[in-house]
Amino acid sequence: MSSISFPKTTRYLMGLALFLGLVSMSACTGKAGAKGVLKMPAAADAKSLDPAMADDLYTNEAISLIYEGLVEYEYLKRPHQLRPLIAEAMPTVSKDGLVYTFKIKKGVKFTDSAHFAGGKGREVVAKDFVFSFLRIADPTINSGGFWIFDGKIKGLNDWREKNKTAASVDYDNGPEGFKALDDSTLQITLANPYPQLLFVLAMSYGAVVPREVVEKEGKDFGNKPVGTGPYILERWMRGSKITYVKNPGYAHSSFPTEAEEGDDKALLADSGKTLPLMERVELSIFTESQPLWLNFLSGQLDRAGIPKDNFASVIDSGSNNLKKEFADKGMILTIAPSPDVTYTAFNMLDPFIKKAGPKFRQAIALSGDTKDTLKVFYNNRGIPAHSPVPPGLAGYDENFINPYQRYDFEMAKKLLAESGHPGGKGVPVLQYEIGQGAESRQMAEDFQRRMDKLGIKVQINVNQFSELLSKIDQKKAMMWGVAWGADYPDAENFLQLLYGPNAAPGPNGANYNNPEYNKLFEQMRYMADSPERRQIIHRMMEIFATDMPWLPGIHRVTYGLSQKWLKNYKPGYMGGHIAKFLRVDDELKAQGVK
Amino acid sequence: MKFLARKIKGNSLWSDALRRLLNDRFATWSFVVITVYVVMAILVFFNLVGSSWQESMGPSREAPDLSQGPLHWMGLDIFGRSVVLKTIQGTYTAMYVGLVSSLIAIPIGVLFGAVAGYFGGWVDDLITWFSTMLANIPEFLLLIAIAIAMGKGTTTVCIALGVTSWVGLARLIRAEFMKHKNREYVVAAQALGGGHMRRIMKHIFPNVLHIVIISFSLRFVTGIKSEVILTYLGLGAEIGQRSSWGLMIADASGELMQGVWWGLAAATAAMFPIVLAFSLFADALRDAIDPKLRH
Repeated sequence: MSSISFPKTTRYLMGLALFLGLVSMSACTGKAGAKGVLKMPAAADAKSLDPAMADDLYTNEAISLIYEGLVEYEYLKRPHQLRPLIAEAMPTVSKDGLVYTFKIKKGVKFTDSAHFAGGKGREVVAKDFVFSFLRIADPTINSGGFWIFDGKIKGLNDWREKNKTAASVDYDNGPEGFKALDDSTLQITLANPYPQLLFVLAMSYGAVVPREVVEKEGKDFGNKPVGTGPYILERWMRGSKITYVKNPGYAHSSFPTEAEEGDDKALLADSGKTLPLMERVELSIFTESQPLWLNFLSGQLDRAGIPKDNFASVIDSGSNNLKKEFADKGMILTIAPSPDVTYTAFNMLDPFIKKAGPKFRQAIALSGDTKDTLKVFYNNRGIPAHSPVPPGLAGYDENFINPYQRYDFEMAKKLLAESGHPGGKGVPVLQYEIGQGAESRQMAEDFQRRMDKLGIKVQINVNQFSELLSKIDQKKAMMWGVAWGADYPDAENFLQLLYGPNAAPGPNGANYNNPEYNKLFEQMRYMADSPERRQIIHRMMEIFATDMPWLPGIHRVTYGLSQKWLKNYKPGYMGGHIAKFLRVDDELKAQGVK
Repeated sequence: MKFLARKIKGNSLWSDALRRLLNDRFATWSFVVITVYVVMAILVFFNLVGSSWQESMGPSREAPDLSQGPLHWMGLDIFGRSVVLKTIQGTYTAMYVGLVSSLIAIPIGVLFGAVAGYFGGWVDDLITWFSTMLANIPEFLLLIAIAIAMGKGTTTVCIALGVTSWVGLARLIRAEFMKHKNREYVVAAQALGGGHMRRIMKHIFPNVLHIVIISFSLRFVTGIKSEVILTYLGLGAEIGQRSSWGLMIADASGELMQGVWWGLAAATAAMFPIVLAFSLFADALRDAIDPKLRH
């Protein structure tokens, strides 16, 4: 046997290197238990940190810690209400409902950037909002958020058309609809009354961005965000983690002082305090639910939704409460209806689907039992959807019953025969597109088995999520299963998903186009909530139930767990990430993790 | 000297290999296991076994129950389907992918290896450059890229595995051809007027065939394992047409936390013997037919 020997000096150096290595490792471990850190999960990575690209939930949440707009949702109030954020107060609105005038808060600053004079963040002025809103309509940026202003702002569509062919986009001569009257006054003029305007301004698309940084960073702006929000991006490890540190200059938002009746009084413990409450936020990305759950159980996450597959081991099926072992650890269960709808859409432009007619789609709807789906796939966490509109939104009608949202196999066979396809005869193999993940696949298999009983063959095509969206946008998908979550608390946000002019690549991926539905939508979209509007919505739901461009699935109910040290959590918030309102009790956490 | 006149019959390479294989107990048993799986796959292909795997036999995720008959021995899946039938169905998918991917990879590897080794020069440089480049791309990334470009499905998996896994064989064949091309028997064939094709196919190839056979059994195992992994990643077998061990393992990723262990157990229990048998058989084959390993 031979052994390797090193000179004495080398041995000392190696020993020192080992020591330093161990010290640095322990320092890293120490960071995991650092104080003032909020650790939250995300189900997917952000695709960009540019507010103009906030097209999906996960991007929107990641962005909302850095950027903010004129208004935001009240954290503790339900039904949802707005409160001023960068705006000094809620806007004044002209009598005809067309002109909104905002006063901008003094002293709100962008975070520091080398692109500002002296490298220090400058104050936000009204023309920053004009620039930010025009960016959403900029044809060269191709923001998915243009729909929030499309056809609604005076002169904006003309400005967009003009700039489609221009050598460079002219931000200095914007449309009449967006005007900075002075540094602190912003005026928005609408083409038609648009009661949802304030809601859409609370979305990430409505966030303010600094022009000089955007222009200097160019395409890299999505990686180097500069906003006015409670946090600054520290590090973005793609596909793994996004870390943020507190914005030291943030002073324009405080914890709400009012809660709802029945809310836990502890929710107001931080009432009036300047936000954010934590020094650091870590968003860890978990595409699979089991690693997320195991991290939560070991105290590495402060909160987690309960995965479907762990539900039975966490919740007592009889009482619907937390099982003792979790309750004993002080974990807190939150149950909240999620303002969303799951559905299987038909591409109404597909030659076969178009020709097959409504009876074919009604037959397919009747062949499945949503109650079974709820039991097998959602642990009964949801209610069957009868229309696109979920509960809790202005325009939801709990008495509306969709005659095809039930299981009646005999009727399904009869309708299939009446559609000209007895026993599935003459029906081509239906192409069913899904995203990745065992759960999506199992749901698609369930559909495939249902169709098999009707004599219809289904081929399941698994796609990456972006690939699925691309197929829908290009009108190449025949059928697909997705969900839509509310952008703002109004039925219009869901009913627009079936409005003809919103066809793909717009949000109406089903390319449904019913003139009566379209006309009613155009009527209701400009109305505030009223009995008359609800009547119109009811008629739209009837049309939907007859044509069945979707197979409505369920409205989900979210079950989540907070660690005992996580304070101020209230479920059901609609506007971006709630990190700035949350607080971790470090003492409790130190005990709990031990 | 009568005994000198007695004719001594020599053993050919193949009959000697067969004798060695039959004398190796592990090899014999491995061959039996492989045969059982092949027969099972053929029966599944002709719908003689496991054709009713889609039928519900009872409640969702029912635990294994020996009293209800063989179809319940490994429990039921989320839709109440027999896990035993799903596992049997999966045999076909695994064997199909193993076979077809090997049948694609081996001719490519042999062709490139033979041409590069025999001709040398710029042809060798070009093929070596191409195969080295291909080998340097992480295999699974390449497989995923091909699966995404061609659309998912069992056939895609076979093609993807086939076109990405020939490099190792090509290198071996190239080295053998370089060694053989200047040997006396090849030079003699050339002197007798044998062309390139004749020298490659008729003279050198039979002398490197053992490498192809060993490589085939090793590729088969890789094919089976890769199918399971690719299907687990959502890039493999068509859903609902045939069951697959990869799909069963993918389902188990969430089910295990609920204590539903039988899907994973059945798929791995089915996979283990065939992978082991192929590996042992490949080893035994190498021992039996590689002249360098003979004593």
